[in-house]
Amino acid sequence: MSFKKVFASLLAAAMLVGCGSGSTGSDTTASSTSGSSDSESGRVYFLNFKPELDETLQELAATYTDETGVEVQVVTAASGTYSQTLTAEMDKSAKPTLFVIGNQAGVREWSDYAIDLTGTAIANELSTDAYNLYDESGKLVSIGYCYECYGIIVNPDLLEQAGHSLDEITNFDSLKAVVEDIHARADELGFDAFSSSDMDGSSSWRFTGHLANLEYYYEERDAGGWTEAPATLTGAYVENFKNLYDLIINNSLTDPKDLATGGHDAENEFKTGQAAFFVNGSWEYAAVSEDVPNARMIPYYCGVAGEEKAGLNCGTENCWAVNSQVSEADQQATIDFMVWLVSDSFAASKMVEQLGVLPYKNAPESANGFLADAANYTDNGCYVMDWATNYQPNVDEYRAGLVAALNQYDADQSDANWANVETAFVQGWATQYAAVNN
Amino acid sequence: MSETKKSKHTAGKNSSNLKDQIRRWWWLFLLPVTLAFVIGFIWPFLQGIYLSFCKFKTTSDATFIGLSNYGRALSDPTFVHSFWYSALFAVTSLVFINIPAFAVAYALTQDIKFSNLYRTVFFMPNLIGGIVLGYIWSMIFDGILSAYNTSILLNSTYGFWGLIILICWQQIGYMMIIYIAGLQAIPTDMIEAAEIDGANGWQTLFKVIIPNVMPSITICMFLSITNGFKLFDQNLALTAGQPFIMNPDGTTIKTTEMLALNIYNTFYNSNAASRGTAQAKAVLFFILVAAIGLIQLRFTREKEVQQ
Amino acid sequence: MKTAKQGKTILSIVLGIISIIYVIPMVVVVLNSFKLNTYVKTDTFAFPTGEMWAGVSNFTKGMTFGNYPFASSAWYSVLITVASTFLILLFTSMAAWYIARVDSKICRIIYYLCVFSMVVPFQMVMFTLAKTADTLKLNTPWTIPVVYLGFGAGLAIFMFVGFVKSIPLEIEEAAAIDGAGPVKTYFQVVLPMMKPTMISVGILEIMWVWNDYLLPYLVLDRTKYMTIPIHIQFLKGSYGTVDLGATMALILLSIIPVIVFYLLCQKHIIKGVAAGAVKG
Repeated sequence: MSFKKVFASLLAAAMLVGCGSGSTGSDTTASSTSGSSDSESGRVYFLNFKPELDETLQELAATYTDETGVEVQVVTAASGTYSQTLTAEMDKSAKPTLFVIGNQAGVREWSDYAIDLTGTAIANELSTDAYNLYDESGKLVSIGYCYECYGIIVNPDLLEQAGHSLDEITNFDSLKAVVEDIHARADELGFDAFSSSDMDGSSSWRFTGHLANLEYYYEERDAGGWTEAPATLTGAYVENFKNLYDLIINNSLTDPKDLATGGHDAENEFKTGQAAFFVNGSWEYAAVSEDVPNARMIPYYCGVAGEEKAGLNCGTENCWAVNSQVSEADQQATIDFMVWLVSDSFAASKMVEQLGVLPYKNAPESANGFLADAANYTDNGCYVMDWATNYQPNVDEYRAGLVAALNQYDADQSDANWANVETAFVQGWATQYAAVNN
Repeated sequence: MSETKKSKHTAGKNSSNLKDQIRRWWWLFLLPVTLAFVIGFIWPFLQGIYLSFCKFKTTSDATFIGLSNYGRALSDPTFVHSFWYSALFAVTSLVFINIPAFAVAYALTQDIKFSNLYRTVFFMPNLIGGIVLGYIWSMIFDGILSAYNTSILLNSTYGFWGLIILICWQQIGYMMIIYIAGLQAIPTDMIEAAEIDGANGWQTLFKVIIPNVMPSITICMFLSITNGFKLFDQNLALTAGQPFIMNPDGTTIKTTEMLALNIYNTFYNSNAASRGTAQAKAVLFFILVAAIGLIQLRFTREKEVQQ
Repeated sequence: MKTAKQGKTILSIVLGIISIIYVIPMVVVVLNSFKLNTYVKTDTFAFPTGEMWAGVSNFTKGMTFGNYPFASSAWYSVLITVASTFLILLFTSMAAWYIARVDSKICRIIYYLCVFSMVVPFQMVMFTLAKTADTLKLNTPWTIPVVYLGFGAGLAIFMFVGFVKSIPLEIEEAAAIDGAGPVKTYFQVVLPMMKPTMISVGILEIMWVWNDYLLPYLVLDRTKYMTIPIHIQFLKGSYGTVDLGATMALILLSIIPVIVFYLLCQKHIIKGVAAGAVKG
């Protein structure tokens, strides 16, 4: 048999087998989705980026499948790996039908892969346009599905035990006085000021994503508001970030040198009354209020002039986008699922419980005490610190650089190491911005 | 003479018969592997080469842009760093794996008590996967270093030597097995002859034993080098590139990031524009590893000829 | 003579001490898998006594860690390893016999491509392989063995061809003269002779597939499947606080079958590794 002949028959066979495996392939998908749907009803695949929401979403997905027969899969990317997971999953045939585009950088990268949500059933459910993201052409790329706030969670009972009260704290100096007093008397009191601020992947976002917002926010305010990510930062408020960061790491249960590898359970430290302060957000309310029903949230006081009028950091990076590369049936099924999540009494109340406020007409009222705190601050004429952190360019890499620099600083709080943090903070922004926008 | 010739002739005939018969069954014997090989290797490889000349977000939206990915890959300081870091790692691990491995192999072939037990123990870590190894050692190192208020993630020197210790623990047993096989293949009378000639232990080692296990040594050295360059799982699980250094211009050097991890991070962790660059890096990486493989082939061939 | 004997005793003792040092990491894993999470970091090398003792809670907790049952990961790991090894052994040995015996131009091309594939690092093909496998639905534990067969064919073919070439033709010819067709000849005559190489290749493939992280991570359908290495990697830096105690418990569980397997087939494993290395 000649080479050509063999090759030709190989090719033919390859095609045959290719077809065969193709059809068996679709058989397996059909069978794996059978019992739940046929080709008409579509399927939902939600690529979630909030690890803390995973359990609730898995439960809701199962409930939805039980009720409607539509297959819903929820995959949660491990923290810090959302963009790589999205990249990998977008290249597959079973692409996520529902994914998260949380900021303008995400819009620029993934806009082509999102449908225009204008006029869809889910968009009509919205009670506000405030958390939606549009691209340059005015296409509604993603819509907010919850509204959150973050700041410093406080246990007022512990403050009182230490002879202080929450009302004393109105700015950085008063916060510092209370915190340092508690830390100094930790042995006598039986509790410390701050819970641990671990820098491993499961916790570092509280600082590189959230605490860092105070710097961005004040810069943004000076600039008269940002509409897109600035190419560079001035770094004018990095010193304020340092004020609060130093206070947190040096007045805590854990030696700062021990933070890099993590392994401490900050939430548990706060819940069990080992620490009076806990840097986190409104999504913690459900977990924390069981043990600390009086828990309150206060702003990031960091030594900026006029911060007595500061409120909480409010906003969202939880914005849903629907994949434009999947079938219309899948898109429809996805939108139906989204509507169910925000309007069904069971699902929406679960969501509200986990996430705080859902900006949708038919969603139940939130009983979240931290969001109530946020509303109180606003009612009292305080300014809302919006989520300028959403503009972080090339976010996972930018934050990784910041984590590394903060680790060095935690181990040895020298000026040189702080200079590195500042470089990561300010220069890192410019570099990552250039990398993305080149 | 004619007898052997005849049998050879018939054998040749029979074998060609057999050959023809087998040939008819090509679809059973050859096709399955060939198809899987095309799917699992040939096609992804060719597409990978093509994509290294493209700009793409996903494989389905690639546009040809020529060589610029290669330019960007070579001018990327993180890639250059990871190359030198991997090279340093490969050479260091070569020394620290092979000398102990050879010493242990030599000792174990000296007819000592419990040598089988020891061999079992030394080889065992080799069966544990890279990810798991990484986490075991990260726990151990942090258990030690936390007493000194530091961590393997904070100091690139610790990160480097930590990975060396890990890789030694994993691979000394493996190389030891190869050396034992080589040592056992040396005819005992050769060593006895040397001893009768009055050679002392060291002379026997250097003049007789080492030259005779040269093939094993070559293999082990190349294996260490290639493994060193290709290391991924252990690198990811132990330090994942930490600690990072910020350059004054804001670029980040992940001090303990090796080549394979750098490629992976370029692919999946940054923005769409760098995916082509990552594929170009992967091609360069392939050329490097293949070149080492070719040099190895030359070496082993030469050795075989000499013998 | 006496000194030589003494020297050997000393050598044995020295190696004994090194062996003990060598198993310490494993012992530390065992210790910490029974230790409460908070003590793993602070008292890594202490015995889990008193208040540190966690009983089996780490194991029970680990079972459902990350909202994914560990038992499923373990089952998929076993399935993928067994099926891939079986496919590789069966098909590559058949192909190797064909290549060695027919020795045509195309055989040589395939053979050299296989040898070539041995030096190609996985990073070169990872992105495109993930896509190809996904398109062909090779992204389940039942179908991913095809990917392993393709990507792992190189070494196996190389080793089998080397072995077949060393078998004298006469035996097969005798079978052929007795009227056995190639299929019968292969399965009744050639395959049994290949047993030692089968074991060597099998061991190498089992070790590779069982421990492989990146290929299944990129290829498998993430909505449904995990393997043990993926599961363990996922526990670090994913769901809230990392529970080191439970992670160590899972690591222990994933190592035990490997150790048992090793102790049972030690002889073959060591031979297989030596053979694979010398040829590869």
